[in-house]
Amino acid sequence: MKPTVEQIGDLLALKRNERPEEGYWQDFLCEFHHNQRKQAAKISGFAGLSSRVTDWFSDMSPTKWAYGAGLAYAVATAAFFLMPREVEQENTPGIPVNYQVVPSPPPVEQLNQLDLSPTTQGNIGEQVF
Amino acid sequence: MFRQPRPPDPDQDLVTRAQQGDTRAFDALILKYGDKLYGLVYNMTSHKEDTHDLLQEIFARAYQSLGKFKGNAAFYTWIYQIAVNLTLNFLKKRKRRSSLSLNDMESSVQQDPALIDTAHEANPEKQTNLNELQVKLNEAMRKLSDPHRMVVTMFDIQGMSHGEIAKVLSTSEGTIRSRLHYAHLQLQSALQESWEERF
Repeated sequence: MKPTVEQIGDLLALKRNERPEEGYWQDFLCEFHHNQRKQAAKISGFAGLSSRVTDWFSDMSPTKWAYGAGLAYAVATAAFFLMPREVEQENTPGIPVNYQVVPSPPPVEQLNQLDLSPTTQGNIGEQVF
Repeated sequence: MFRQPRPPDPDQDLVTRAQQGDTRAFDALILKYGDKLYGLVYNMTSHKEDTHDLLQEIFARAYQSLGKFKGNAAFYTWIYQIAVNLTLNFLKKRKRRSSLSLNDMESSVQQDPALIDTAHEANPEKQTNLNELQVKLNEAMRKLSDPHRMVVTMFDIQGMSHGEIAKVLSTSEGTIRSRLHYAHLQLQSALQESWEERF
């Protein structure tokens, strides 16, 4: 046999008088005001800025973090490629090159200087490498 | 069809004074709704310390947002909405943490003042039966999903109407009735065995 909905309702209604113990709300109000004063002091000072930043970040969902990280990465990459690069120039004075141009011999003389004779004695038609 | 004009908010005066910086007016609002919200949060969390911390957070949030309260809904509905949202968020986080052990829950249930029914204190046997039934009921309540438990708490324990619950949860009365029907079926099944033993 199951209890009826009314019987369940009656059982649940017993919990209606559930209350905190005597004096609870006095302590609760003291703590509440203490917290509010602390919060107000925090917000009025420099710490207010950091707390607001912290709150802002703490309110962000993981998805927003991912979007933020992606955006930051894209900005950093774009900045890397778009930033004008300075060509490094040495300021040291130029050293004159001590180099004398020697005229090369005419091409025929160069050919004559080459040893074109066979390296070994061999039969006719035989190539020796 | 004309919509019926909304009755004036009985808390309008206190709210206006609190908005102007009168902290005593806000204290009066805390004292007025504290017990009801305590019941709501405690029946959802089954944990006294969590209930206390959540209530501090709920009233702090309400106090900080008081400037944004334009009176489109009654203050009672508005603060209940804050309480419901923060409690459901808290329960989601707690499930992820899984920090509340079964032992913690049980100890809370044992201290549950609702388990002591003054009408049956003179009859120890009947009181024992009732206590056992209440323990089973608490277990069955915890097995309900958070939205279902919320609706049962507001309707059966707090005695709110379907319309009031619908406003707080920003949903239709049909949805509330459907959730209640399903939750009652679950509770009936869970209590069947204990009920047969007792009666």
